Amino acid sequence: MTRLLDLTWRLIRGGGSRGLLGSSLTVVAVAVSTALLLFAVAVNVAFAGRAERAAWRNPVTATGTPRALEAVRVEFAGDRVITVVHVAVLGLGVRPPRGVSPLPGPGEFVLSPALARDPSAARRFPGKVVGTVGDDALVHPGELVAVAGHAPGDAVMTATWRGDHRLGVSATKVSGFAGAQDNMAVGYRVLAALAGVLMIVPLLVFGGAAARLTVARRDQRLAALRLAGATPGQVVAMTVAEAVMTALAGAVLGLVLYAAAAPSLQRIEITGGTWFASDLWPGILPVAAVLAGVPLLVGLSGIAGLRRVVVSPLGVARRATPPAMRFVRVVVLMGALALVPALGAGARPTTILVVLTLAFLALNFAGAWVVGLIGRISAAGARTPARLLAGRRLADDPKSAWRTVSGVALTGFVAGFTGILTPSAEAGSDRMTALLLHDVRVGTLVVLAVSFLIAIVSAGVTAASSVLDRRQTYALLRLAGTPLEVLDRARRMETLVPLTIMGGGSILTGVLCAAPFASLSPSRDGVLTLLCCVVLGFGGVVAAGALTRPLLRAVATDPAPRPD
Amino acid sequence: MLDAMSTTPTPPPTSVMPALPAMPHTSGHAVLEGRALRKSFGPTVALAGVDIAIGRGEAVAIMGPSGSGKSTLLHCLAGITRPDSGEVHLLGGRIDTLGERGRSALRRTRFGFVFQFGQLLPELPADENVALPLMLGDVSRTRAVQQARSWFGPLGLAGLEGRRPGELSGGQAQRVAIARALVTRPAVVFADEPTGALDQATGHDTMRLLVEATKHNDACLVVVTHDPGVAAWCDRVAEVRDGAILPFRPARGEVRDR
Repeated sequence: MTRLLDLTWRLIRGGGSRGLLGSSLTVVAVAVSTALLLFAVAVNVAFAGRAERAAWRNPVTATGTPRALEAVRVEFAGDRVITVVHVAVLGLGVRPPRGVSPLPGPGEFVLSPALARDPSAARRFPGKVVGTVGDDALVHPGELVAVAGHAPGDAVMTATWRGDHRLGVSATKVSGFAGAQDNMAVGYRVLAALAGVLMIVPLLVFGGAAARLTVARRDQRLAALRLAGATPGQVVAMTVAEAVMTALAGAVLGLVLYAAAAPSLQRIEITGGTWFASDLWPGILPVAAVLAGVPLLVGLSGIAGLRRVVVSPLGVARRATPPAMRFVRVVVLMGALALVPALGAGARPTTILVVLTLAFLALNFAGAWVVGLIGRISAAGARTPARLLAGRRLADDPKSAWRTVSGVALTGFVAGFTGILTPSAEAGSDRMTALLLHDVRVGTLVVLAVSFLIAIVSAGVTAASSVLDRRQTYALLRLAGTPLEVLDRARRMETLVPLTIMGGGSILTGVLCAAPFASLSPSRDGVLTLLCCVVLGFGGVVAAGALTRPLLRAVATDPAPRPD
Repeated sequence: MLDAMSTTPTPPPTSVMPALPAMPHTSGHAVLEGRALRKSFGPTVALAGVDIAIGRGEAVAIMGPSGSGKSTLLHCLAGITRPDSGEVHLLGGRIDTLGERGRSALRRTRFGFVFQFGQLLPELPADENVALPLMLGDVSRTRAVQQARSWFGPLGLAGLEGRRPGELSGGQAQRVAIARALVTRPAVVFADEPTGALDQATGHDTMRLLVEATKHNDACLVVVTHDPGVAAWCDRVAEVRDGAILPFRPARGEVRDR
């Protein structure tokens, strides 16, 4: 085993600059995947943390002897939200909520640091400030929270709240201040999980593809090893070892990337505030799981890609007309999508998530079919060689193009829909709706940005590996006088055509669907942000393709494509 | 069997022809001529002053052991690489002084190439692979594919128009490559070990088709090979040793004597 690992290591190092380039591409792809995976996990952990920290403000009626009264009111100071928790102690031995110390007596206040720093807002609470609301009891760092102490007979402790349930809670007899996560927080957690699924599904597919690409490039060398007498087991072991080593390097780099990006991610505002540094740290166990799981997954998809070579020592892939993708896929999609409304409103969040995940997977299947269709149509109508080549290539390997654009196509609709809606409202419950809309918009834009990021890296990796895979043909075509620009243009179209039709189409559909609601006052900021995101995304995809142009030039100007 | 080709007289449109510099036609009837060609790669001398002339309709084999400089000679003659010194003339016009773009256009329009393998784009069906050089020369797609298909029958490829390179045998793929090399009606066809990846019988057939089709189209043929059996198909053999050409000898005669 040690000797095998040693040989693998020497083969990696001896791969020359081209082999090294291939390995670094995989490292980059795995690094980006890992970083985004960590982000997707962290988002869920972060929302869980918020829900946990806000639970004390959602009083649960005591089943035994009540020990305290708790009421909540949401007030507005300008455009800022102040949450005021009114408490009155009934009996002895009541412990303050976690993070709040001490429990204020009648006429006393405990203020959050941001509230205490703001004199105009703090003026609303004229009384003795006896402590602070700590981070453990705050949803976000800048949150304005006041805990007001009362006597049990005070007006607020006897009144019943008849307004919007998001703006107040009637006084409730509680046995303690542990509380429970409210519906709103649970809703956000479901949305976060959904965003996670949206980001993770294309990531896994893309990561697996990156692994298979490395293996595919090794086909010839592995076949040579088989011819030299290596057993299938040894070949598999060596390849998997190489893939896992590369992936591990990528995963560690991904962790570094994520750590570097975390301070900026922390500043994304959701539910009216930014995040604590600890929110975006997924925790030791999840990080360890990702760092171990990513190389494992890459190794597994490496094995899947290897089967062909292992079967036959002469098993260098020969390209044949791929079996036409079946219309069945579309039927499956329709079926899966029909299930979603059939579930009804009563379904549990987990069930909805599972079904939505299935629906996305079904969309994934159908997406490749649509890309193939686009390829066939554009090849049939092509007049220039570049367009013909791009179309044929899309029809030939629609999955690879779909991998690149799938995230944008899946998120685009929601981003387009929420992008132009105006979340500005005057006061009260409208304001809370506006806040929710704002959050959904920010959330989808983040997912859209991630999807574009995946598309950019995937476009780069796909372009580079397609150049490496066809290096001999490209070199010979250049010798025969084919201008490299034609090949370049074909590669660019190969990504841009499906991205425009499917990604752009999905965003546009979302915008059009939202237009009736936003016709009076489309949100200028929202439109601008969406536009920036789309322009940056498309620009990034084009740039990623352009980055591989020197590679094309290098392989095509190789003066001796034939080993003479 | 090659009659069908003559029924489709389709010279490439003049617009894609590179403008050749007008030079005095110095040397007889040579279509392609290399004069005093020298080329070095670092300290290694690949060509040490080679003179070679290829006449109309002539098939010449360039032979020599590995590292003798035969591929470099082909690259210089085909305008792929520039010689360090010396001149290359095509139909009396000097081509080695053209820029990269000019030489590239020249290769696309006046030369055809057949390599050992791997020159066909795997995504394109056979007929579109053949049509590609025409499309690059702004011939409309319909006409390019139509013209491309007219080559399939004569080359024994009838019925394989829609096959992809991965679905063709080695010999069939080489015949598709021959069709692609000839479809633009080039002045010279360069073949670099065209049968190197084929078995003997298939290689034999491929060479016969290559020589016949080239001659039928009034093009001359330059074949680089180390296989005397391949060289035997040509009119002449130029033996390259250490960057220089040994005196010419007839190819067919020698083999027939054996």
